[in-house]
Amino acid sequence: MTKRRKLVKWLVVLGALHGVVACAGFLSPYDPTEQDRERPYAPPVRLHFRDTQRRFHIRPFLYPLRVREGSFAQFDEDTARVTPVRFFVDGSSYRLLGLVPCRLHLFGAFPARICLLGTDGYGRDQLSRILYGGQVSLAAGLLGAGTTLLFGLGIGTAAGYYGGWRDDVLMRLAELFMALPWLYLLLGLRAFLPLSVRPTQPFLLIVIVIGLVGWARPARLIRSVVLSFKERDFVRAARGFGASDGYILIRHILPETSSVLLTQAAILVPQYILAEMALSFLGLGVPEPLASWGNLLANLRQYSVLMSYWWMYLPAVAIVPFFIGYLGLASALQEWADPSRWA
Amino acid sequence: MRFLLRRLAHAVFLLFAVSILTYLFASLVPGDYFDEMRLNPQIAPQTVVALRAQYRLDRPLPLRYVRWLDSVVHGDLGYSFSYNSPVAPLLLVRARNTLVLTLTAALLAWGLALPLGVRSAEHVGGLPDALVSWMTAGLLVVPDVVLALGLLLFAARSGWFPTGGLVSIDFDSLSLARKLLDLALHIMLPVSVLVLTALPLLVRHVRSAMIGVLEAPFLQAARGHGIPRRRLLYRYALPAAANPLISLFGFSVGTLLSGSLLVEVVMSWPGLGPLLVEAILSRDLYVVIGGVLLSTLFLVIGNLIADLLLYWADPRTRVESPAK
Amino acid sequence: MNSGPVVPAINEVSFSIAPGITLALVGESGSGKTTLALCLACFERPTSGRIWFGGRDIAALKEKQLRVVRPQIQLVFQDPASSLNPRLTAHEIVTEPLLLQRNWQERQMRERGFALLERVGLSMEVASRRARELSGGQRQRLVIARALSLEPKLLILDEALSALDCSTQAQIANLLVELQTSSALTFLFITHDLAMAAHLADEIAVMNRGQIVEQGAPERLLASPQHDATRSLIAAMPRAIVRPHVFGAC
Repeated sequence: MTKRRKLVKWLVVLGALHGVVACAGFLSPYDPTEQDRERPYAPPVRLHFRDTQRRFHIRPFLYPLRVREGSFAQFDEDTARVTPVRFFVDGSSYRLLGLVPCRLHLFGAFPARICLLGTDGYGRDQLSRILYGGQVSLAAGLLGAGTTLLFGLGIGTAAGYYGGWRDDVLMRLAELFMALPWLYLLLGLRAFLPLSVRPTQPFLLIVIVIGLVGWARPARLIRSVVLSFKERDFVRAARGFGASDGYILIRHILPETSSVLLTQAAILVPQYILAEMALSFLGLGVPEPLASWGNLLANLRQYSVLMSYWWMYLPAVAIVPFFIGYLGLASALQEWADPSRWA
Repeated sequence: MRFLLRRLAHAVFLLFAVSILTYLFASLVPGDYFDEMRLNPQIAPQTVVALRAQYRLDRPLPLRYVRWLDSVVHGDLGYSFSYNSPVAPLLLVRARNTLVLTLTAALLAWGLALPLGVRSAEHVGGLPDALVSWMTAGLLVVPDVVLALGLLLFAARSGWFPTGGLVSIDFDSLSLARKLLDLALHIMLPVSVLVLTALPLLVRHVRSAMIGVLEAPFLQAARGHGIPRRRLLYRYALPAAANPLISLFGFSVGTLLSGSLLVEVVMSWPGLGPLLVEAILSRDLYVVIGGVLLSTLFLVIGNLIADLLLYWADPRTRVESPAK
Repeated sequence: MNSGPVVPAINEVSFSIAPGITLALVGESGSGKTTLALCLACFERPTSGRIWFGGRDIAALKEKQLRVVRPQIQLVFQDPASSLNPRLTAHEIVTEPLLLQRNWQERQMRERGFALLERVGLSMEVASRRARELSGGQRQRLVIARALSLEPKLLILDEALSALDCSTQAQIANLLVELQTSSALTFLFITHDLAMAAHLADEIAVMNRGQIVEQGAPERLLASPQHDATRSLIAAMPRAIVRPHVFGAC
């Protein structure tokens, strides 16, 4: 497969994955904050095609879950009530892509609760939470990577183009940042910020903190690109024609950094998704009731949950396809940008 | 020699800079440990003021830093508000546990990566190579959180491994052999997570370094002399490939430390990780600073060791470079 | 025009070029030719000495004043590959100087760009191709076209033909001759190839270790060289050359 095709293939895969998460509103049956206190820690519902009278139904159905008498979070299927699964149903309202108000959901099973991946301690549907949580975690990763690259681009260009003491100072600073283990740096940065912030703000805060952790390596890479192009003859020629520094940077030098930026982006995004997951898992990231993969996994910190409710582990699995996608993209980008490298 | 001295000076400078940075940041944070107390109507404001004075939080910043630096040099890392005890001994115990975990993981990871990488490089494209490359690809896509939680889940459900802690409750009453077994069981899962997440990168680099070396003429000549395979690989080829691998080792120390933090928290291993997280949540200033500093110290020492190894392994570093 | 720059770390050099003439500066590598070219084109400043151009000493001018002078002296580098940004199209490259002058309208620029390309013998379809897709000869033509865009009086060609293959050299050389007759340009042609210089130049100056050791008309120089450096340059010429003015190095 040619390099370009490979690249396109991975882009398509990632695009599809992101698309699924973007359509969280449509694909999830419920609002992620909708609680069902009567059914805490309900296991994933089972879909049946054959009922107790051994009749075959074309449309899959489920039995609503009923709490077992005198127990907590032990459920039985109420086989008396055959509840079919319907598609393209009307449900809670949401905004498609954040813009268009909508009420259409892919599937539903009113009046029963169809929780394909179980529920958490408040009875909230895990599938919905995983999908919406994905939006938060992915956004954190993408925005964080964007922040880092912007930062790294600015600093790397300044250091490489102007040189001199500016270069020395900036590169020493970069070394400093690279000297700290990244998670310690992340926690350190996070620690130095207010611990309890309102729901909309911490997300931005976290994005910026995450973004500040990793600027050093991209900055160095960009700096070396700028350095190598600064002295090229065509840059000199342009200067001879009266070009200003700004013109030279924008027209001649920065386009050369695009391959570094793209490859770094593909490497950073999954790392930053993980960073968000780590922060939220530790209780220092996205706060409840907003869902993110990290704080969904935080439930597992309770031993009882770990022992008895295995489906709470599923958010961890959700990230794996994205990782595969980004890693594939990163290696395809590296091959495409620099064919002589062994990927 | 000059190379080593330069690296040492560099390391010291780095530690210094990090200490200033950390202290600065920590002190610029609005609010402090006593915020909660201040909000509590039952505690008189004068008490809070007195407490702050007792912990000397009311002095100007540079003065505090200098005092703190002075005490650090004398081995006193400050006082923990939550634990109500000096920070240094607290950190040291936890640091010991973290080191046990990290060093074991590092040894195992390299111990596995070297033979695997060498084997793959020997038979490039063959079955062992393909298997190894599939394994590394598979491991690369599983982030450490996922793996740690997964193994924890497995431990909880199967009951074969303990789900946390350094040792069991009845550790002291066990015989020596049992003690070792107990420790081994406890350490096995966290170490596995660290090893499995570190392995892919290490194996790939060993493999590519070895491939580069195996094609070199000097090795062909050695092979022609009839030197046995194992000796050839490990006494001739590997040292030649050592340079990039040693740099990798230096780099992997950082990732191992970060990885261990998360693994420790997830798997309740009593190391620096959980301590640091707790300290952040409770605004225990000196513990946070001490923890960050200590981890940086480990990283710097790790890199220094890598530099030392490089110095020993690669004669080119010992040659004084001509004046610029 | 007179020029008397002092090449840095090398000895005094003094020579002059009359307008409309081609002066060839010949010497082995390391004789200081390129540094001289850079000084003349105002890319470097000589440590001492003067460069007279259009009645003024341009070595003493400030940057702002130089801006007026620069368009009039253009430098064509040796390696066309490195002096062109491979990502840009030919048309973009040739109009870049005009863009930077900022006195031009969009449409005027476009037309002038095409006109310049045509002048150096590049067809219309080349205009939209990127520099990396062009051949060596095409690139060199492009570099010349770009240099001509600001209508310079003096064109300095630093080993401009050396990187090309034989037949392309001949073509470009003919282009240069034609340009000179049609535009009354002055060329300073720097090379290590005496044969080429003999073919193209009205006058040759031989440079050795930062000094001009001999100067004169090509026929005279080849027939009776006065200096060792000249003699060794003649000896380096391929045996096929017997008579000057025959471009038979290939």
